[in-house]
Amino acid sequence: MSLNDKLKDLRASGIDDAKRAERIQELNDLRVNLLGKKGPITKALRGMKDVPVEERPEIGTLANNVKKDIQAAIEEKMEELNRKIVAKKLEEETIDVTLPAQPNKYGTRHILNQTIEDIEEFFIGLGYRVDAGHEVEEDHYNFERLNIPQNHPARDMQDTFYLTDELLMRTQTSAQEGRDMESHDFSKGPLKVISPGVVYRRDDDDATHSHQFHQIEGLVVDKNVSMADLKGTLEALCRHVFGADREIRFRPSYFPFTEPSVEVDVSCFNCGGEGCRICKYTGWIEVLGAGLSHPNVLEMSGIDSTVYSGIAFGLGPERFAMLKYGVNDIRDFYLNDVRFLEQFKGVN
Amino acid sequence: MKISVNWLKEYIPVTHTVEEMANKVSLTGIESSPVHNGEGLDKLVVGHITSIKSHPDSDHLNITTVDVGEDEDIQIVCGAPNVANDQYVIVALHGAHLPEGKRIKRGKIRGQESNGMICGLDEIGVPVKYVPAAYQNGIYVFPENITPGTDALEALGLNDDMVDLDITPNRADTLGMHGAAWEIGATYDEKPKFTKPSIDESKVVDSNDLSVNIENKELVPDFLVRTLKNITVGESPLWMQRRLWNQNIQPVNNVIDAANYVMIEYGQPIQAYDLDKLQDKHITVRNARSGEKFSTELNNEDDEENTNTILNQNDLVVAAGDQILGLAGVAGGIDARVTNETKNIVLESAVYEGSVVRKAAQRHDLRGDASNRFEKGVDNGAVSEALVRATQLVDENAHASEISDELVGIETEAKPTVIKGKISHINHLMGLELSSEEIMNIFDRLGFNAELDNDDVTVTIPTRRWDMSIEADLVEEVIRIYGYENLKGTLPTGMETSGGYSPKREFSNKLRNVLLGQGMNEVINFSLMNKKEAEDFNIIGANYTKLLHPMTEDHEYLRTSLIPGLVNNISYNQARNNNDISIFEQARIFDRTEGLDRPDEIEYIAGAISGNIALDSWNTESKKVDFYDVKGIVEELLSFTNIDANFEYHATNKISNLHPGQTAEIIADGQSIGFVGKLHPDYQNEHNVDEAFVFELNVDTLFGMAKKNVQAKTAPKYPSISRDLAILVNKDIESGSIVKDIFNNGGKYLIDVNIFDVYQGVNIKPNHKSLGYHLVFQNPEDTLTDDTVEKAFDGVKASLVQKFNVEIR
Ligand SMILES: [Zn+2]
Repeated sequence: MSLNDKLKDLRASGIDDAKRAERIQELNDLRVNLLGKKGPITKALRGMKDVPVEERPEIGTLANNVKKDIQAAIEEKMEELNRKIVAKKLEEETIDVTLPAQPNKYGTRHILNQTIEDIEEFFIGLGYRVDAGHEVEEDHYNFERLNIPQNHPARDMQDTFYLTDELLMRTQTSAQEGRDMESHDFSKGPLKVISPGVVYRRDDDDATHSHQFHQIEGLVVDKNVSMADLKGTLEALCRHVFGADREIRFRPSYFPFTEPSVEVDVSCFNCGGEGCRICKYTGWIEVLGAGLSHPNVLEMSGIDSTVYSGIAFGLGPERFAMLKYGVNDIRDFYLNDVRFLEQFKGVN
Repeated sequence: MKISVNWLKEYIPVTHTVEEMANKVSLTGIESSPVHNGEGLDKLVVGHITSIKSHPDSDHLNITTVDVGEDEDIQIVCGAPNVANDQYVIVALHGAHLPEGKRIKRGKIRGQESNGMICGLDEIGVPVKYVPAAYQNGIYVFPENITPGTDALEALGLNDDMVDLDITPNRADTLGMHGAAWEIGATYDEKPKFTKPSIDESKVVDSNDLSVNIENKELVPDFLVRTLKNITVGESPLWMQRRLWNQNIQPVNNVIDAANYVMIEYGQPIQAYDLDKLQDKHITVRNARSGEKFSTELNNEDDEENTNTILNQNDLVVAAGDQILGLAGVAGGIDARVTNETKNIVLESAVYEGSVVRKAAQRHDLRGDASNRFEKGVDNGAVSEALVRATQLVDENAHASEISDELVGIETEAKPTVIKGKISHINHLMGLELSSEEIMNIFDRLGFNAELDNDDVTVTIPTRRWDMSIEADLVEEVIRIYGYENLKGTLPTGMETSGGYSPKREFSNKLRNVLLGQGMNEVINFSLMNKKEAEDFNIIGANYTKLLHPMTEDHEYLRTSLIPGLVNNISYNQARNNNDISIFEQARIFDRTEGLDRPDEIEYIAGAISGNIALDSWNTESKKVDFYDVKGIVEELLSFTNIDANFEYHATNKISNLHPGQTAEIIADGQSIGFVGKLHPDYQNEHNVDEAFVFELNVDTLFGMAKKNVQAKTAPKYPSISRDLAILVNKDIESGSIVKDIFNNGGKYLIDVNIFDVYQGVNIKPNHKSLGYHLVFQNPEDTLTDDTVEKAFDGVKASLVQKFNVEIR
């Protein structure tokens, strides 16, 4: 057999062996055995001396190609075997992803605080300060300064928790108005503040009353604020809270510390104004009270009511949350059943 | 007050439905709702009883024939005790619908044909207490002849459409038909027309039957009376009665009804007395003497009996000597009430100070139509006219022979209020640019007399609108009549302000977020608690603050700790099988400096965990919360305060409702900032809670402490070297003091000490424990040599042996 033929035979059998290999080790052995220094190709090339000189380059090239081809066959097979190994491993590692996770809980903020913070952040965006005020307040700030003089029905003992004749649990966050107004430096710009917090009333707790609840008071005092500004501000608030399509309307009302005073209704977010159970078939839902600061309230804080005007509004986070999430009993907010609390994960 | 459309039509044209009117009035003035009386009722006609005979098989039934305006009279069996021949009555015909779904059908009653039912007022929807007394226990009998077959609801006013005004306290001017007509008229740009009342001048005499003295003149600005002689007390005409029962007022007789009618018409309460029953012909308005007694018919709805009211010196009474005629502005008395036998009467039209009336009505639980009006104010320009009107009505219906001149106890001139304003300022406050014509037109619609002088406007307000006093009131009138729906919203323009939370609020928000990140749910509890709760965790030794007049013992004290609320929450949840609870609250507690009334309001944050922190699952075992889990949360919370201080945990057995062996007070730079610990087993049992761990921290104190000035350091590039140390030490020695000592002696390259083993028991000396520590050394600037580390490690060991007598193992 010529050297030429011998080399071709070696190539054919080498490639064949590589293709038939089933384990990585076989391929490694094959490489060493066929292509190594002691292998048959090297051995065969020792017969080169018997080959005529002019044919030697051709045989040399053939020998190199044979080595290359066998090498390639081994590598190809090697890759194939590796792929199989990985595939097998992946299959072995496959798990049931529908099995339950290890709980990794983030706590839920109380829905009232979520509601309050949503409103706070809305107003912070409009340049309002947040001033929480005092829960124990002087009669003076809770009533007198809000144009609710002695003998006014709103001061009746049965509505207010008094601590002494002069001190009480504040009945409204409006109590902060006087303090904010008298301490504000108007040379530094307008007073824009919201006062969120807890207020107290002498009410028996039932589905719609709680002796403790929350309010958010809003107040802007400047040279140029008007009822139109009040409407625009509350329109923006109601759209932020209840949806971009909401309209609001003002109805005349009465509060001692605002004049004019209005009740603010928002178009029903449930039926869009068509009329439903939630809006008592009126298309509108009463959400807050507001008005222009009563001149007496401004003057009592040393603010010239012929130059300055104020807009004031007060809203109830409980009412907002009850409307928005369909909570039917105000007591649910204070029972703190975790099943109740956790349903409000991430709503705001 | 419900405004009858039929009545309103006497003053202004009404062309709209009550729905439209209620909506419009709500948007321009007063919250209103439409009322349709008699809805769903039908086939109710006036019948004339033409014969009556006893039912042969009954001792209380009668068989009547009734003319109901049809060709033939119909037979109706009637069981009412007051049925009689020739009465004009309400007949429910066959097929009639009555309230509450009741249906009338012809049939036989004990064998006798009955083609309908003769009705009482209460059977067709008038609450029984507003039915005239004579007809409360039987059928209603019309006081006049009415064509049989006439729609009975129409005749009785019971199908009146009405607009119910739900007034705010400042708009009591609409608690009379005249005021309501002005208000609704302004809404529709219609000026109401009223007929001036008048008295038959031929009957008027200059009488001196009576004298009047007002003792407390500040509380009684007006007090006018007239006397009428030789009247015939009887039933009022139907037109008056139906207007009264539609106002939820029971018709009584033609004097009391006239007084009530004028109250509805003018908003001015009128009081009537039997002149002959006055023990003294001298009327005094004075403060009651403490203990004086007074009886009235106006009482609690559920109280049928006349009660004896014991008065005190804050009550204002109308008296004739020692005889109390009435509690001023609240209720007339029984002593001098007008009855069917009365011949001569006194009519009173007065104004009483509102808060005195309100308090008296509250004090004696006698709130009513009169006190409601005096509380909120009445038009003192109409006191005299209302008295004329009442006199006129009594005279028309009860025919006096003699009417006295007006007798003035006191009279205060009713001056219209004059308000000056500026058109520009009114526009400015509204955010509108109305012309002065538009604004003047609105004043005119309201019946205000306004004069314009360039920008200045002077508005004269009639006395009927006593709520108006300042320019802002003008703003309200203009904008509401102009229509809020026409106001376009804008945002305040003015100098930019930078809003935001206070630094303290930012700080507490940060703490809250850490606890949320630890999986704790936020709760909100009440600030008011019972005495025991206030005492249970009064760890800071707060002086208690309590309510003067609590509603219940459960909400009497201001809280001194957030823990009792959290324990209640755990208890509530675990009772409902929510067993694994992890909650926190951030709120204020109240502490009072001795001698001061006003408590400080201190922000606290507190948490409570009970049950498992890891659940039993397909691949894990459950783990109950322990002290170190909660301590870990507290440490993470404190690390986020960024406070530049070391926090130390000092074991304490001083907190009575916490476990004496599992509680630590937390100290920062010598200052107590709170605690962490386990609830005492007794307290757990008492509150029905599973093992629970709690912590509470003073946010105000933490907020006030100096914060770290963090300067960035590059992460170390040189490797660290560690050594493990195992020691045997007396079991009472706290690991905290050992770690402290290791740091004190470990040299400047010791950066960390971790405890990896705590063991006590088998193979350990009695009263001893084995502790294992992992010490990490690192030089940020260079590679550490073993020599340096060994030297430092030796120093650590030597000190521990010397100070704590440890055995190095
Ligand atoms: Zn709706």
